[in-house]
Amino acid sequence: MILLRNLSRFLKEYYSLLRNEPYLKVNLVFAGIILLVMAYSGIFSPYKNNYPVVCIHEKITGQPCPSCGLSHSFSLILRGRISEAYEWNQYGLRVFLFFISQMAMRITFSVYYMRNGQGRRDLILYDIVGSGIIFLVAFLPFIRMLVLSILN
Amino acid sequence: MEENKSNSAQNLGIAALIVGIITFVLAVIPCVGIMAIIPGIVTIVLASVGLSQASRNNSSKGVILAGLVIGIVAMLISFSQIFVAGRFARHADKWPSDIKEAIEDIRSDVTRDLENSNVNIRIGSHGDTLEINAKTTVKDTRVKQLEDLESGQKEQNDTLKKPQ
Repeated sequence: MILLRNLSRFLKEYYSLLRNEPYLKVNLVFAGIILLVMAYSGIFSPYKNNYPVVCIHEKITGQPCPSCGLSHSFSLILRGRISEAYEWNQYGLRVFLFFISQMAMRITFSVYYMRNGQGRRDLILYDIVGSGIIFLVAFLPFIRMLVLSILN
Repeated sequence: MEENKSNSAQNLGIAALIVGIITFVLAVIPCVGIMAIIPGIVTIVLASVGLSQASRNNSSKGVILAGLVIGIVAMLISFSQIFVAGRFARHADKWPSDIKEAIEDIRSDVTRDLENSNVNIRIGSHGDTLEINAKTTVKDTRVKQLEDLESGQKEQNDTLKKPQ
């Protein structure tokens, strides 16, 4: 009962803040998008191979591209088959961990933002820097590929 | 009324920021990145409209400018994915000849290995056993042919008979 009361108070506070704080709106939308990505990976099965999104590059050239197999990889990671996921796409785990870390960050930072009225500016700064570093680490092979392609 | 306009400018800025960040993530992924040009354009349009509204109302522009900058950077990254696509297209041209060469290499390796090998096949059925031994032949035959030619001996196949 106390838990329910606390939850309802938290939600009321969250809703009143949500209308005035862009940061909370952005966090909510991103958390929703990450949940949709997870739902997509969970609903579509790698064994039935019924993914609606196909690689245009593979359709045109007949050759796979570095991002081919990411959907399969995500689905297999969600089902706990990490080694199979690595076989489908070697960068899948990195990108998946980026999404998981972002989900955790959206929730944690939103709660912290609501609880602390003083250091909100610093919190947004930490969020930008932290997310930027995680993004660079997760997408480093793709970024390296892009830079090498431009330079060559 | 003024507050409503200010809110709508800020909402446009938030939308631009969200679409911009999604575009940024998509733009970095090879092959998908080129398609990120479309949400990139949407981001810039949203941010531009938001910015013009915010300038009219003198409201805060921080979020809108962030959305605009991220949108422009994402568009540039998305455009640069053309280089990656070009690189893969160049590699794709080479792939058929590379595969052909690899097949030829494997075929010559297998043929060479089989020429110099002894093959023993044993088949057993109801107590009876049949054994086939195939010893090295091709290399030995070639060496023998060479020795025969050197010693002046001719093989039967090389003789030419005059028709009667």
